[in-house]
Order: sequence, then C-alpha cells, then structure tokens
Amino acid sequence: MLFPTVEFGLFFASVMLIAWSLHRFNCLHKLFLLLASYLFYGFWNWSYVPLLFLLSLFSGVIARCIQASSSQRLRKIWLFAGVVVCLATLGYFKYTSFFFTIGLGLWAHVARPPGISIPSPLLPLGVSFFVFHAISLMMDAHRGKLKQAVRLGDALLYVAFFPQLIAGPILRASSFIPQLTSPRNPATIRVNRAFLLIVAGLFKKVVISNLLATRLVEQVFAAPQAYGRGDALLAIYGYAAKIYCDFSGYTDIAIGCAMLLGYRFPRNFNAPYSATNPQDFWRRWHISLSSWLRDYFYIPLGGSRGSALRTGSNLMITMLLGGLWHGAGWTFVIWGALHGFYLIAHRIWNSVPWQSVARLRQTSPWRWAARLLLFHAVCLGWVFFRAPSFDIAFALLHRLTIPGRITLASVPVVLALFLGLAGQYQPLRWRKALECEVGCWHTLLRGAAFAVAIFAIELLGPSGVAPFIYFRF
Amino acid sequence: MRTSRYNTLPQLAAVMAGFTLTILPLESEGLLRWAQRLEVGPAASIAVQATGDLHRVLEPLHIEWVRREGLADLDRLGWSDDPARLQAAQRVYVSSSSGHSQPCAAVVAAASLAVPDRSAATLAHPTPIPLSPSAPASTPLPPLPAITNGQPRVVALAGDSMMAVGLSDILLRETAADPNVRVIKAFRSGTGLARPDVFDWMQEYPAMIGSEHPDAVIVAIGANDGQGFVEDGKVLAFGSDAWMQVYQDRIAAFLSLLTQNGATVVWVGLPPMKSAQYNEKAAVINRVTYTVVSRTPQASWWNPLPHVGDESGRYREFQTTPDGRTTRLRAPDGIHLSDEGAMLLSSALINWLNAPPPPATAQATPPEPPKLRARKAFRRKARL
Repeated sequence: MLFPTVEFGLFFASVMLIAWSLHRFNCLHKLFLLLASYLFYGFWNWSYVPLLFLLSLFSGVIARCIQASSSQRLRKIWLFAGVVVCLATLGYFKYTSFFFTIGLGLWAHVARPPGISIPSPLLPLGVSFFVFHAISLMMDAHRGKLKQAVRLGDALLYVAFFPQLIAGPILRASSFIPQLTSPRNPATIRVNRAFLLIVAGLFKKVVISNLLATRLVEQVFAAPQAYGRGDALLAIYGYAAKIYCDFSGYTDIAIGCAMLLGYRFPRNFNAPYSATNPQDFWRRWHISLSSWLRDYFYIPLGGSRGSALRTGSNLMITMLLGGLWHGAGWTFVIWGALHGFYLIAHRIWNSVPWQSVARLRQTSPWRWAARLLLFHAVCLGWVFFRAPSFDIAFALLHRLTIPGRITLASVPVVLALFLGLAGQYQPLRWRKALECEVGCWHTLLRGAAFAVAIFAIELLGPSGVAPFIYFRF
Repeated sequence: MRTSRYNTLPQLAAVMAGFTLTILPLESEGLLRWAQRLEVGPAASIAVQATGDLHRVLEPLHIEWVRREGLADLDRLGWSDDPARLQAAQRVYVSSSSGHSQPCAAVVAAASLAVPDRSAATLAHPTPIPLSPSAPASTPLPPLPAITNGQPRVVALAGDSMMAVGLSDILLRETAADPNVRVIKAFRSGTGLARPDVFDWMQEYPAMIGSEHPDAVIVAIGANDGQGFVEDGKVLAFGSDAWMQVYQDRIAAFLSLLTQNGATVVWVGLPPMKSAQYNEKAAVINRVTYTVVSRTPQASWWNPLPHVGDESGRYREFQTTPDGRTTRLRAPDGIHLSDEGAMLLSSALINWLNAPPPPATAQATPPEPPKLRARKAFRRKARL
C-alpha cells in the first residue's frame, strides 16, 4: 500500500478513527495498531507477514532474555545470537544471490563453476528496515537504555508499526517503546504540524519526485548514449533532487501520520544539500540510518578513538556497509566507498593546522564554495547509486564531455528541479510561521485548506505514481 | 497572538470534518474513477457503487468544474504527461482560440493514425479464432523498408512495463549510436489491453507517436492483463471463453492500429514468470497473442522462451556467460527483465534494427554480438 493512494487514505482514516476511540484502553489500542500494521504489510504480500511477526517476536524474546540476565557475558551471548539471526535473515533475503554470483565468478577463475541453481528469494518489502529495528531493540536492551522490561506486545508493535514499516525512519527502541507504555494523550496532538508534514511530503513525492523521475531521470539513465552534456547534467541534478524529495517526502508523511496517532518520530532529513562538509551531510541525510550506523557499528568498531589510520578504516568500513545496506550490488558498494573517501578526506583537511586555512574555513565565500563542491561530490555518488551498472554510470559521466543541446528542460522539469533543490534553503522560521498561522484559523477552515492542498497536489502530479525508491531497501 | 502547538481530540475531529467536507465534493469524480480502475471483483463493485452514489449526490453542486478546468489549464501549459490528454487539450485550445469548433488542420495532422473502429478492425480476425497450440522457437523477421533520402528508420517501442523495464533501455542504448534508426518511446507501465477503461491504448498510442510514421513497432504488453474485466455490463472472468474472445478482438484491433501506414510489428511474448500462478496466466496471454499475431502478415511473434527460459522453457533467473560470469537475467520481482536478460532477448532484434542499408532479411542468429557492435560504433562516434 503506497502512501499517496486512495487505498492508504481510506485505511489511515479508519485506523485513526478506531485508534483514537480506543485510546483509553492502551492494550486494546496497541493490539489494534498491531493488527492494522499487519494488514498494511499483508496488502503487499500476506505470505511475508509471518516473517515479520516471527522476527519481531524473536527480537522481543531476546531483549527480555538480555534484560533478565545478570551476567555481562550471558547478555553478550544473547545479543550476539540475536544479531546473528537478524543479519542472517537479512543476508538470506537480500544478499544470497549477490554473494553466490561473486563466489561462482571467483570459482570460474580456477575451474568451470558447478551448475548449481542460485537461490533467489523474493525480497520482503522493507526487510532492511524491520531487521534494523529488531537489532535496535536488542542493542538498546543490552545497553540498558530501556528502563522497563520489554513487553512482547510492545516489541511486536515497535518493529511492525505501519508508518515506519517499509521505508523508515529507523526508530530507536529507547525512544519509541516508552511511548507505548502509557495511553496517548488526546490533548497534545500536533494536528497542524502533522497535516503540514503530510502535505509537504505528498508534494515532494507526487509532484517533484514523480515529475523528475518520469520526464528526466529515467529517460537519461535508461540510455545515456542518446543524450548530450546538457541533458546528462540535468539528469544528475534531477536525480539528486528526486531522491531527496522521494525519501524525505515518504518520511515526512510517515512522521505526520504517526503524529496524528499521537506518536513522535525523529526527524530524518534536515536540508542535506545545504551541508558544507561530508560529516555535516551525514548529520542531515537519512539521519536515523546514519546515527544507527554510527551508534551500533562505527562506535563499537572503535570510532575515532584510535589512530588516524584506524579511524579512517572504521569510517570506510561503516560507509561500505552502509552502501551494501542500500542494495546488493557493486554500484552501491562504490557509492559507499565514495562517501567513505569523502569523510576521510574531510578529516585530513580538517586536521591541517595552518591558521590561514582555519580562518579561510570561516569565511562565507568558502562555505558556499564548500557547499557547491560537496553537492557535486554527492551527485557523483548518486550516479553510481542510480545506475543499474558501471557501464551506464560511466557512459553517463562520459556524456558530460560530449556537447549536446538540452532537450528535456521543459517548464515542469525546471520548476520541479528548482523546488527540489532550492527548497532546502527555506528558513526554518518560515515553516514555524506557517504552522503558527494555520493554527490561528478555524478548525473547519484548516481541514478545508488541507483538502484543497491535497486536491491541488493530485492535479499537479503525473498520472502514474512511481514507487518509492527506498521500498527496495 | 500566541497559539498552542497542540490540539485536542475534538479539534482533530473538527479538522477532519472540514477536510472530509471539502475533499469529497472536489474528488468525487476522482474517487469514482479510482473505483472503476480497481481489479474487477466484489470489492470493486462495492467501491464503484459507493463512489457512484456519492458522485450522483454531489454532482448538483457543480464543484467538478474546478477539477476539469484545473486539469485543462495544466494540460494547455504542457504539464500533463498523458499524450492523449495533451492532444485533446491542444485541440480544445486551438478550436477555442480560432473561434470555430472545427479542430485546426495542424493539430489533426499531428495524429498520424486514425483510430480504427474496433468492430471493423476485428473483421480480419472473426472471433473466435482457435488458439494455436504453441509458438515456434524462432521467427524470421521481415526486412525493414530501405532507407530513403537519408531519413532514418523510425521505430516505435510500445507496451507496458515489460517494455519500459529493461527491454526499452537496452533497445534505446543499442540503437543510440546508429544514425539510421530513430526510436519513439510509446510505452507506459501499469497498462494493458484488458482494461481500456483504465488506459485505452487505442486512444493513447496515436497520441504517443504523434505525427510520426513508424517503419517498425516492437511491442511488449500483456503482463497486467491476467485479470477479469467488464464487457457490456457483464463480468468476464480471466481465461473464460468469453474473455478469450474479447481479448482476441482487442489484440486484433490494437495490431491493426500498429500496422497502419505499413509498419512492421514485432510482438514480444511474455517471458516465463517466477510465480507459478502468474506463469500460467502469462502462458494463456501468450497463446492468445501468438494466435492473433501469427495470422497477421505484417507482424511477427517473438518467442522469449529460447532466450530467457531454461532448456525446457521454464523460468531462469541466472545465466553463466562464456567467460564464466554469473549474471542475473530477471529483475528481483521475478517478472521483468534485467539488462542482461533484455539483451539476450533482444540481441537479434537489435541486429535487425541496426541492419545497414540495403536491409537484409534478418534471422534470429546474430552475426556479431550487438553490444560489441554498438560499442564499436559508439567509440567511433566518440573519437569523431
């Protein structure tokens, strides 16, 4: 069930109505949300609902075992066993065929590979997200961040809660499970903020992202050989805007929906293309994933506590795994490696001790130059992220050297590109002022205004809705 | 005045009431269309009934003009991605600006194809046609017309996501360096011939190709057609005799539209699917399309099984290349083709399209791997 569909609209309206009517009975309320989440997931494929149930049940049981264990060693063993099972599940569904093809390729260098059939299970929707949620639950239990004993029902709902189930944001168990312990307060619903987030998310997804996808990006990435420099550059910028709008649009809708049900989700994007260095970029892009990787992977690896070489290798390993998390393919690995390289280069640059360089970094022109440089470095990474193969990625980069007129810059494309990129520079106070202004309106008028906004988005969007990019992760 | 960031449940209910009271009149037609597009079944019947009643109740308010005018204005600005809608808007615009109701000649000329009357189009294939038992492994392709006055051959790529995902990418890439071939994109994901109420190819295809006269059309369609539909008020279940008859007629009508102006059509059959249930549906659709296409002199049915199936014609996900690499032939969904799969399926088609003038009769056996040839041409061009 995609967010920008009538089906989801009807589903969510019904869930909201029933969930709030049950809010006094917290257990019933949570049970209902859990069943609604399974229904939401089953809408895609019922046969994978047991997997979701079993994995979340397993992580809940392990979290309880960790909490109940008195010895540190036993806690570690439980955690290790839980993480291995979760990663094995992810590995089986997502990486089996990838590693099989690598293995067979290596075998072919030595001898004729055996004629075995490569297992290729259907990738469950959002498996990377719910596996990371399950791991977060066990890790937070191990670190003692969960003050109370984990209830199995809460664990099931935390992993399967439908607004974040298939494309994030990745919630921390320590921030979400405490919200499940008490009934939702019907006097503290952020209705205006929630609706503004949903409208903004729908606009980003349905209008900007879909327009750029159908009229620019997909055409050029399908056959870069047919386009010249202008279109190739436009498509690369277009993809940068498209992936931001697609993913941040989804999480905006998810956060808004959760807010209307009385739950708080963390912010997942914060104007990432306004970042001035790679570290800053990763604090603004997919914040829930980058902080997950930082807390549960980079820091346990040693983080930046060791030598410069050790820190660099930790950064590179983390980013390589981050790349692989996005997809089982070498292009994703290269994307991760590029970002690892950017982070290492930035650390080296930051460690230059000269005073003149330190002063230069503080100047406004330098910050804008850094912003521009970083944006193009990120765009280079997006080429590998989007291209189905290295042939296509290099063909597209090669087209940047071939003169050719711009053929795809129609008014809607240029407008969508401008809004997708320049929209990141809107001051935060505008958003707050808008929320405040809307808050002054009569409640009926507010509802009517949101309806008109959604109607306008429906008219402006292309007739077919492209699936969210992050679903396949 | 300072307002609270938080609202109460009654306030949420009031906002939702305002939302519902506004969205229903604005979207009642949109909701009805959504319901009509659902897969035929009891749920769809209920939805059509409910949204139809709602639309009838709200119609007297005449709020629908907001939607119609809004869409028309956007279409006139070139915002729409729907060729038929754009063309219709252009026609309205020309006729209203010229002050008479006749469409402008230039606009009429923009559509090079006349939409055939469905009943007339099917006369060549009186129904029911007995279904052919099976398709041959390879089909000879008719020669393409000679290139005249240095004009490139125009090739249209038509179909649903079976064309849009993988196949069109490869065909576009491998013909990009050939100055003798110009490709028109006339495909649309999520469409088919079973549900003209959702997407009518008879209207959309002429709008997609505009004033072009394709010399050849490669079409891959049918992946979404494994469903029942309503014809003359009756629900026809997928695979029933009545369904087969109507579906044959639709294919015949579409084929006669594609072959207008003498275009040669290559109809790419559906490859074997990973899901057994879906595979059975694909086999039914293949039998129908093969039966109709094989009786049309200007059309060839391209059998995908020898290219992307295994030895016994079943689903194959991976292949080992002669240099020992293991590559994926199918997309992870088990339905669409990967780039490698599309390349295997279409290598002979690429050679056929790129055949140098004067065109020779192309067969399924390629003289040289097309990727290699296209790369050579690409490098030559890059050097220039």
